[in-house]
Amino acid sequence: MKSMFIAALTIGSLLLGPVAEKASAQAPSDPQIAGIVQTANQIDIDQARLALKKSTNSQVKEFANQMISDHTALQKSVDDLAKKLGVTAEPSDTSKQLKQQATDESKKLRGLSGKAFDQEYAAHEVAFHQAVIDAASQTLIPNAQNAELKSALQGAAPLLQGHLQHAQQLEQSLKGGS
Amino acid sequence: MGCVDMHDTRKPLLRVGLLLYVLGGFPSCQILFAAQPRQPDADAAIVVIKQLHFEPNQVDVKLGDRVKWENQDIFTHTVTAEDGSFDSGPIAPGESWTLTATHKGRIAYHCRPHPNMSAELIADGSGFSANAAGAQGTAGTLKWRPPTGPEQIHPILVNFTAALLPLSFLSDLLGRMLKRKTLHHAAFWIIVYAACITPFTAAAGWWWKHAAGAGLPAKLITVHQWLGTAAVLIFISLGVWRWRIHKQDLIPPLSYLVSALAGVLALVYQGSLGGAMVFGR
Repeated sequence: MKSMFIAALTIGSLLLGPVAEKASAQAPSDPQIAGIVQTANQIDIDQARLALKKSTNSQVKEFANQMISDHTALQKSVDDLAKKLGVTAEPSDTSKQLKQQATDESKKLRGLSGKAFDQEYAAHEVAFHQAVIDAASQTLIPNAQNAELKSALQGAAPLLQGHLQHAQQLEQSLKGGS
Repeated sequence: MGCVDMHDTRKPLLRVGLLLYVLGGFPSCQILFAAQPRQPDADAAIVVIKQLHFEPNQVDVKLGDRVKWENQDIFTHTVTAEDGSFDSGPIAPGESWTLTATHKGRIAYHCRPHPNMSAELIADGSGFSANAAGAQGTAGTLKWRPPTGPEQIHPILVNFTAALLPLSFLSDLLGRMLKRKTLHHAAFWIIVYAACITPFTAAAGWWWKHAAGAGLPAKLITVHQWLGTAAVLIFISLGVWRWRIHKQDLIPPLSYLVSALAGVLALVYQGSLGGAMVFGR
């Protein structure tokens, strides 16, 4: 619970903080939004791969496989849309900080094993998806200029909600098993 | 709920429920699950899975109707009943899955990987039967076709497995009660036949499970497949034991009869699992 709370705060501050701080001065551009989405997708895929490598829990593996499958499909649709719109993803402070935070989290996960790993991974997934949902609804969608990009971001919301719910179920289940 | 069976069907052996099939359930089961050449699903109600939604969100069908879920999304989804009566297993983008309504009922279902996707199926009966491995259920033809798939071969073989052991046991029991040696001879031959045919029944069950892929009710399938596999060993052991008794021209001891009775009871349980998968609980 504590680790989830910390993870939520960290991810939340990284995803929302920088974006919010700059919102008044400079809202993220469409290329930057594409870059943030791309980064978030890749982070979840990489951490799912790590979970597949380190976990022996079948529920965790199933969840991780789903994350890889869904985020790969989502990434492809984002790439296709960006190509169609002629938008090239650009890095931003947010995407850079996301990457840094993901590196830190991966380090932490690599140092854990067994149930401790599973619980940290599940807690991080809950926090991560919650933060992404918040960022999408509060910052990315409102600031997207292109209607198709905005619509695509809105379309991804149910997926992220589903992942959040699944991650919450996983987290509860892992607690029950302890 | 009926549909679930199809899941089972893929399971191995001893669907001793066979006995039940033979006596009544089997014909309908065969009709529901008979693998047919792929045919257009013009008469199936269609539920489209798109953008993480089931459309329509509620579908009403009549008994015998089929419902087909077409995954037009970019993600893999499942069609999973809340009450556990059916589970499609992963439906990849571009693929579909079909269920046949066999009983009245109202069943809420969701997508396992995306629990926020939910919808409802209403049948004017009370259950559903999903088709295995994409095979199309026939609406009820009585036309006989040579069995070619595991979903046909397994239920056929199960009938023999389910019938022979109880017959052998009863024949020995009556032989002891009536002191008729001919009944013991019959019991010996019957158990030999059972020991010979049961490995094929189990193999067909495993074949079916393999062909059906994921999506079977996990607990039922696991117990059914391993109990069925264990039954092969039990049948062979009983056959060898009974052969030695026969060779020595002895009357089967009580220990043998108790063992055979235990085998019969295991078959009954195995059959009930098969029935639960085919016809629902």
